[in-house]
Amino acid sequence: MEVEVDEKDLKAAGAEMLTDGRHGLRIHGWEIESRKRSILNSPNLQQWEEKLQTSHLPEMVFGESSLVLKHVNSGIKIHFNAFDALTGWKQEALPPVEVPAAAKWKFRSKPFQQVILDYDYTFTTPYCGSQTLEIEQEKHGRGEESLGSCTLCWEECNEKIDVASLASKEPILFYDEVILYEDELADNGVSLLTVKVRVMPTCWFLLLRFWLRVDGVLMRLRDTRMHCIFKDDANPIILRESCWREATFQALSAKGYPSDSAAYNDPSTISQRLPIIMHKTQKLKVE
Amino acid sequence: MSDLDRQIEQLKKCEPLKESEVKALCLKAMEILVEESNVQRVDAPVTICGDIHGQFYDMKELFKVGGDCPKTNYLFLGDFVDRGFYSVETFLLLLALKVRYPDRITLIRGNHESRQITQVYGFYDECLRKYGSVNVWRYCTDIFDYLSLSALIENRIFSVHGGLSPAISTLDQIRTIDRKQEVPHDGAMCDLLWSDPEDIVEGWGLSPRGAGYLFGGSVVASFNHENNIDYICRAHQLVMEGYKWMFKNQIVTVWSAPNYCYRCGNVAAILELDENLNKEFRVFEAAPQESRGAPAKKPAPDYFL
Repeated sequence: MEVEVDEKDLKAAGAEMLTDGRHGLRIHGWEIESRKRSILNSPNLQQWEEKLQTSHLPEMVFGESSLVLKHVNSGIKIHFNAFDALTGWKQEALPPVEVPAAAKWKFRSKPFQQVILDYDYTFTTPYCGSQTLEIEQEKHGRGEESLGSCTLCWEECNEKIDVASLASKEPILFYDEVILYEDELADNGVSLLTVKVRVMPTCWFLLLRFWLRVDGVLMRLRDTRMHCIFKDDANPIILRESCWREATFQALSAKGYPSDSAAYNDPSTISQRLPIIMHKTQKLKVE
Repeated sequence: MSDLDRQIEQLKKCEPLKESEVKALCLKAMEILVEESNVQRVDAPVTICGDIHGQFYDMKELFKVGGDCPKTNYLFLGDFVDRGFYSVETFLLLLALKVRYPDRITLIRGNHESRQITQVYGFYDECLRKYGSVNVWRYCTDIFDYLSLSALIENRIFSVHGGLSPAISTLDQIRTIDRKQEVPHDGAMCDLLWSDPEDIVEGWGLSPRGAGYLFGGSVVASFNHENNIDYICRAHQLVMEGYKWMFKNQIVTVWSAPNYCYRCGNVAAILELDENLNKEFRVFEAAPQESRGAPAKKPAPDYFL
């Protein structure tokens, strides 16, 4: 989903596009790259099932797709991938959500020795990105100066992402959207984890979004936004804002909103209708 | 050239029919489909196709690989509509071929051939967008009620969209279902269109959604034994490689929508059976971007917040 970028804008911002078929750019010490690949094939899917110790994964796992933002001098690497997100799903392990038809099914005669499967088929994840410190060997010499003790952590903070400045229409030098996984809930709705990024001359901004709609039951939106204003000294300042929203169809119809699933295809247009259940802002810290 | 032949040529170019033509076509189709059994008999040689989901240009690739109808005898396992951009043209082309060559193409019902599902997953909106009214959607969904539920090839291969049902152990039990209705939320007809084979259960499993059956290897083995069939051929689930055998070759999933939803990068397959029921899977890829009519527009930069 690349867009044509004005060469002049790139040059003026001191940015250059990545080459060799890579998709992304270098700007103010950052290397930002997206990778979009096919869904995992059966042997790879089986490997993931073993590693994650599960027998169920989303039917579309874009396991080779990723978004990586690397600050070369500090070694800070923010990245997004399906594996870490599904590790989060496995850990959170929410109880299953029953679909409306389940009420009727309770009255069906049970087949002999029926097994009831019990796992979170919505693939809800608390994932809000991965971060690592990557120090290049040649820069710091081998064995000299152990950086293994340095870690990254997110600290709660009072600053907020400056939405007003993001609303200004500076040119977008790089834009992409990467799907990490997707499931149709066997035609009972949608579960979708995507990350969108845009890079402007003064900053980068991204939105990681988990979107769930179980038809006739509930909707869940878990957004993580990250913002980094470019400055050329030392460690970059990265803000991260997480906002979780959730509502049942019942609650929405009680408020007078439509309750048919077709009205809820695009999370960005209806997000305001879903009440916030968690919100926090954090800042990345190197320790 | 008859009207019908002209309509087929038009649909092959991905041009939809007029509303009045759709109405007339559906009436003719109804007369043919109403005579079909819930377990429709199909002779070999035949080529079996899985989900299409409105991916018209990819279905044209399918016909390139499998040959044109009526030269090739086809069996489509349902899910013609929803998700892709061309559900209208896809379903109408298949239906027009059915009316023109009723003995050379068999269409059975998938879980998407339903009023409720198409209102959520695309076909309803597409009809409204292309015709400015929902009449075409009404004609088509009325036809869905007449589609057969399964097929039996040379008495040896059972074909169905989803899978088995605990309420059904013999083919005769399927034959007694009154199928001319919207797909119910439970019961035998629902199961045939919705259920899935599952490795981790031996017998029957209930989905964590609280509705939807999963069936294991022993269920398939006893069904095949009881009905004296070699294996089951079904669709309904995306498989990256286009087809997938399970339970020691007692059931196979065939998936015929390459690059599903225009982003998965999977290949698709059809299963060709010759007159002796020898199998050949023909694997194919999505239509090249430039043959899809309008080229995909690069999206404008999105100032998302």
